Amino acid sequence: MTVVVVGAGLSGLVAATRLADAGFDVMVMEARNRVGGRTHGIEVAPERWVDAGAAYLGERHTGLVDLLAELGLKTTPTDMDGASRFLLGGDGDQTRDGRFPPLNAVALGEMFDLLDELTRQVDPAAPWLTPDAERLDRLTAAEWAAEHLTHPDARLFFPLFLGEMMAAAPADVSMLHVAFYLRSGGGISYLNAFAGGAQESRVAGGAHQICEQLAADLVARQPGSVRLGEPVVAIEDTGAGVLVRTSYETSSIATGSYDAAAVIIAVPPPLADRIEITPRPAPRATAATGRGSAVKLHLVYPEPLWRDAGLSGWSVNAGGPLLSTVDDSPAEGGAGVLTGFVTGREARAYGALSYDEQRAAAVDQASRVFPELPAPLDFHLTDWVNQDYSRGCYAALFGPGDWLALGPTLATPAGPSGRIHWAGTETSLEFFGLMEGAIRSGQRAADEVTEQHH
Amino acid sequence: MTRAVSTVTIESAIAGTFRRVLELDDLDERTDFFAAGGDSLLATRVLSAIAREYDVELTFDEFVVDPTPSGLAALIEVAP
Repeated sequence: MTVVVVGAGLSGLVAATRLADAGFDVMVMEARNRVGGRTHGIEVAPERWVDAGAAYLGERHTGLVDLLAELGLKTTPTDMDGASRFLLGGDGDQTRDGRFPPLNAVALGEMFDLLDELTRQVDPAAPWLTPDAERLDRLTAAEWAAEHLTHPDARLFFPLFLGEMMAAAPADVSMLHVAFYLRSGGGISYLNAFAGGAQESRVAGGAHQICEQLAADLVARQPGSVRLGEPVVAIEDTGAGVLVRTSYETSSIATGSYDAAAVIIAVPPPLADRIEITPRPAPRATAATGRGSAVKLHLVYPEPLWRDAGLSGWSVNAGGPLLSTVDDSPAEGGAGVLTGFVTGREARAYGALSYDEQRAAAVDQASRVFPELPAPLDFHLTDWVNQDYSRGCYAALFGPGDWLALGPTLATPAGPSGRIHWAGTETSLEFFGLMEGAIRSGQRAADEVTEQHH
Repeated sequence: MTRAVSTVTIESAIAGTFRRVLELDDLDERTDFFAAGGDSLLATRVLSAIAREYDVELTFDEFVVDPTPSGLAALIEVAP
């Protein structure tokens, strides 16, 4: 019995592997010429890799921790030794120990109190049933901030916090989505923390290895089971099975056709809606659904030179493009890498520049934030917002009304016989938007199929 | 004497705040906030609670000098 999986990202490959384990034949259809989805590796020096996409994990990410162990992959702690640099304007321009910004701590505490209170209200099993969901889901985070944050330091920090946590501008997301996202990730404190939190470690050698190994193992067991450069364009549920049509890169018309017992659609919601599905299921996204707004930059130096100056490489900046930087140098040495995050509104403005302008703006800002550093040897840019087969990163942004409209059918199988299943980190109520959410969604979708066809 | 009693009261109230933001029962007036699992984000929530309760705005730098309920109570006592 064959199951088609649409998308060779983490959720799709986890689902396909689990189905293969259960005795199914699988066909994984991937539009890109690589596997990995929103994980991707860049080789910054010979055999030294950094993460262009998803990177971090913590010990609560048990699905990912187990998967890494199964694949024999190790983790590297995210080191934060040394002083941080802040360019937040006025008294906010400081070099100081720790990650706490030189802003009014009481004002930030009041903001976190409010966010924590909302986060605790969320119904984690059904966010659309949260008390006051109707109001919270119509309210954008920008409207909420205008109403509740009075201190200028809180107003300055809130967009930076949302950008870092969920790659969103406050105007793009509903307050229910913010509260849900924070809850889903383990609460504001866990989601924000490096040591002891969701950024405790990275995958040594790069998170892209997870999907590469899963795909290689699948192909070894079932030759031809992972097909690259072959986007799925149409799916028909015939009642007795599904018919999946694909096209090749060079053609916009359907050129491939596959019969299967079931299909798992493991792509981000806006991409799922581009597939012509018959009969038409409930929409996966609305006009309010936004693209996760993240551009990730890597500035490569001969070694982590900032450490010589007693700096951690961590910076937070009120002006763009680099809203924050972090030391992502390979643990084995051989290169120093400062990763820069361009998020929220900055990401969209930055994405509209030419490559030369993007490079100049980033290098120029790095020289202002870290004047003690020489010019970088190399520069890498990954614009997830404008990648056709991701359409945003970290995850789709649920805008006003989206949880009420989309939430109840987020993971409900579609089609007359329920043969169309949904995976992807956006279908996971646990660790939504993270690698862990992707893994749990893939496991859940595979189990649905197994249950249906055992 | 009155002053000592009020310091003890403040210490015990702040220990209660530590318990709430750290979600931890087992701590006393000498517990170090960071050793007990606190971080800078959670520290701001202790500072906002102190501001609400005692109308005293402590800075993050003041917090880290002696980040225990008794250390913070002493700061509140001497605050103008």
